[in-house]
Amino acid sequence: MGTSAVRVQGLWKRFGEQVAVAGVDLELPAGKFIGLVGPNGAGKTTTLSMVTGLLRPDHGTVEVVGHDVWRDPVEVKARIGVLPEGLRLFERLSGRELLAYTGRLRGLPGAEVDKRATQLLDVLDLAGAQHKLVVDYSTGMRKKIGLATALLHNPEVLFLDEPFEGVDPVSAQTIRGVLERYTASGATVVFSSHVMELVESLCDWVAVMAAGRIRATGTLAEVRGDAPSLQRAFLELVGAQSRDAGSDLDWLGGGSR
Amino acid sequence: MTTPAITPVFVRLKLSLLRNGLRQSGGRKAAYITSAVFALLFAALQLIGLIALRGHAHAESVVVLAVAVLGLGWAVMPLFFPSGDETLDPTRLVMLPLRPRPLVRALLTASLVGIGPLFTLCLLVGSVIAVARGGAAFAVGVLAVVLALLVCVALARAVAAANVRLLTSRKGRDLAVLSGLVIAIGAQVVNFGAQRLGASGLGELDPVAEVLRWVPPASAIWAVHAVSEGSYGLALAQLALTAGALVALLALWSRHLTRLMTSPDGSTLPSAESAARKRSSTGLGKLLPAGRTGTVMERSLRYVWRDPKTKAAWVTSLAIGLIVPVFNAWQGTGSVYFACFAAGMLGIQMYNQFGQDTSAFWMVAMTIASSRDAYVELRARAYALLLITLPYATLVTVVTTAMLGDWRRLPEALGLSFALLGAMLATGAWTSARFPYSIPQEGYKNVAPGQTGLAWISIFGGMMAAALLCAPVIALTIWLNVSADGDAWTWLLLPVGTAYGAALTAAGLKLAAPRTARRLPEILAAVSKG
Repeated sequence: MGTSAVRVQGLWKRFGEQVAVAGVDLELPAGKFIGLVGPNGAGKTTTLSMVTGLLRPDHGTVEVVGHDVWRDPVEVKARIGVLPEGLRLFERLSGRELLAYTGRLRGLPGAEVDKRATQLLDVLDLAGAQHKLVVDYSTGMRKKIGLATALLHNPEVLFLDEPFEGVDPVSAQTIRGVLERYTASGATVVFSSHVMELVESLCDWVAVMAAGRIRATGTLAEVRGDAPSLQRAFLELVGAQSRDAGSDLDWLGGGSR
Repeated sequence: MTTPAITPVFVRLKLSLLRNGLRQSGGRKAAYITSAVFALLFAALQLIGLIALRGHAHAESVVVLAVAVLGLGWAVMPLFFPSGDETLDPTRLVMLPLRPRPLVRALLTASLVGIGPLFTLCLLVGSVIAVARGGAAFAVGVLAVVLALLVCVALARAVAAANVRLLTSRKGRDLAVLSGLVIAIGAQVVNFGAQRLGASGLGELDPVAEVLRWVPPASAIWAVHAVSEGSYGLALAQLALTAGALVALLALWSRHLTRLMTSPDGSTLPSAESAARKRSSTGLGKLLPAGRTGTVMERSLRYVWRDPKTKAAWVTSLAIGLIVPVFNAWQGTGSVYFACFAAGMLGIQMYNQFGQDTSAFWMVAMTIASSRDAYVELRARAYALLLITLPYATLVTVVTTAMLGDWRRLPEALGLSFALLGAMLATGAWTSARFPYSIPQEGYKNVAPGQTGLAWISIFGGMMAAALLCAPVIALTIWLNVSADGDAWTWLLLPVGTAYGAALTAAGLKLAAPRTARRLPEILAAVSKG
C-alpha cells in the first residue's frame, strides 16, 4: 500500500458570508477504514461533497486514487462509491429497480447487475422489501439501499456521509459487517460521523475537523494520544470546555418537585 | 359522578379552529378570508338563482342534480383535502377516554359548524324554495333540509374515518397532489355540460334526475317535489330512504371510529400486503434498447406514472393538448393548426428535466463523466418523451382534421406539429442544462421559493425561442398557401417539418450535453432546494 486514496490541498468553500471549509489539506491512506469526525457544522458534509465532485470548491485541488476529481472525472467517477447525506434517491423505484437502474447507468452488464443486486439485497436484509417503493422505506432501510447502490460497481474508495445517522442497532450492525468485509479486501472507506464511540470502534485512521479546518489526523492511537478515549481527545482538540453545571438547573431531579 | 357533555367542547374546538384561520401570516390570512368571502358570495348567488328557478318546468331536475353533486363533493372532499378539517382525523383523539356514542354525536354536531355546512344549507334551502308548492311541501322541506345536511356531513365523516389509514399515509399525500388536477378537469366537464344545456335546454337533465332522485341526499329534495305534486306515498318512501341512509352512514362511521380508537396506529405497522406484492414488470424494459439509453427511458416512463408531480404535469399537458383543438373543432370555431397545441403542451415536459429528478439528480451526476454521457442521458429522456408524444400528437392532429373534414391540410398540420415538437425538445434540453430549478414535492407549487424568475426564463424564454426556431417552417406553410400553385406542394411540409424538427432536436441535445457535463454541481445545487 503506502499510496494515498485521497489527497486534498488548500480546499475552500464559502456560502455567502459563511465559510464552510477554510483551507483543508488532507491525505488519506488507501486500504484503511477512515473516520472524518467533527461536531455539527464542522464542514464534514461540504468537504465530502467537494471530494466526490458533487460540489464545486472555491479553491483547492482534490485527487482520488491519483486522479484529479475536476480534470479527470472519467477515471474518478468509475472508482468511487458515494452515499451522501440529505439528498434523495430515485424513491419512486422499488429497491430492486433502483439497483438495476444504478448498475446499468454505471455501464455494468444487465445480468451482472441483477446478480450483484440479489446478493446485496440478501446481505443487507432487504430481500423482503425489494419490491416495495423506496419512498416507503424506513430510515435504516434507506441507508442500506443507498449503501447497496454505492457498492454495486465495486468501487476502490467508498465515501459515506453519516451512514449510521438514524439507523437502528440491527441495521447498523449489518452495515458494519458489510463495510468491514469490504475494507478487509483492501478497499478504502471514508465515513463522517459525530459519534466518537462508533468511530473509535470502527476506524483505524481518523481525521478530526472543526470550524472548517482539520485539527488532527493520524491513526486512532496517534489522535487519541494520552487521553483516555477519543471523545476526550476530541473535546480537547475542538476546544470545548466542560462547563460546570453545578449552580444551574439545581432544581432538576430528586427532592422537591 | 356525571361526565361533562363533550358536544359543546367539540363545537368550541371547531369555532377556535375557524377563528385561528385568521391568525396566520399575512398572505395565508388574505387567502383564507378571500376564499371564505367567495364561498359565501357564491352561496348567496346560488340561493338567489334557485329561488329565481321557482316555477320553471325543469326546476326539480336541476335541483336534484345540484344536490347530488353537492353530496358527491362531501364524499370526495376528505380524500382530496385531508387537512381541510383538522377534526376529521379521529386518531388525534385516541389518547382521550371517550365513548363512541357521545363522540359520534359531538363530532357530528361540530361538523355542522363551518363555511362548508353553511354553503350546503344555502343550497338546500334554495332547492326547497325552488320546488315546494303549498304549506305541506314547505313543512316537509324543513325536514328534508335537515336530513340532507346530516347525510352530507355524516358521509364526509364516514369516508374520512374509513380511509384514515390511506389519508395519513404516503399514498394519501400523493392523492392530494393530484386533487388540483381533478378539480381542473371537473371544471372543464361542468363548463362543457353547461354549454350543451345552454344550447338544448334543461330538458336534457330529466333522465339523469330520474336516477338521482333515488340517491340520498338528493332523494330528500325530490320528496318535497313529490309532496307538491300530491304523491305523498312517494315522498314518504324517499324521506325514509334518506333517513335510512343517514342511520347506515352513522353506524358505519361509528364502527370505523371504534376500531380506529382501539387498534394500534397504522403508520407503525408494516404494510404486509404491499411488501408481498411483486411490482409487475410491464415487459417494457425488454423492448427498450440496452445500456444507458434504455435504462434512462425506463426510469423516465416509470416516473410519469409513479411520481405524483410528474404525473400531474403530464395529465395536464395531455388534457389541454387534446381539449383545445378538439373542443374548438367541435364548436366549429377550430382550425387544423390548433392541433399543434398537443405537440407544444407535451414538449413542455422536456423543460427542467433535472428539476423533475429533485436532489436524486446526484445519482445521475455521479455517472456522467463526459459530454458523451450527458448526451446519451438527455437523448434517452427525449426518446422517452417521444414514445408518448409522437403517437399522441399524431392522434390529436388526425382527430381534429377528421372533425373539421379538412383532410387536405393534414400533412402540413402534422409537419408543423413535428417541427414544433423538435424545437421544444431542443430548447427544453438546453434550458434544462442552463436554467434548472427545484420542484417542491409536497403541495401545489411547481417552483421552489426564490426560483420563480429562473422558471419563467426557462419556460417562457424557451417557448419563445422554440417559436422563433419554427419560423422557417411557418413561413414555408404560409408561402405555399398563398402562392398560386402552392397547394399542390403542401404535402411537402410533412417530410420537411419532420426532418427540420429532428435536426433541431439533435442540434439542441448536442449543444446541451457539454453544458450539462460542465455544470453538474451547479445543476445539483439548483434542483436540491425543493
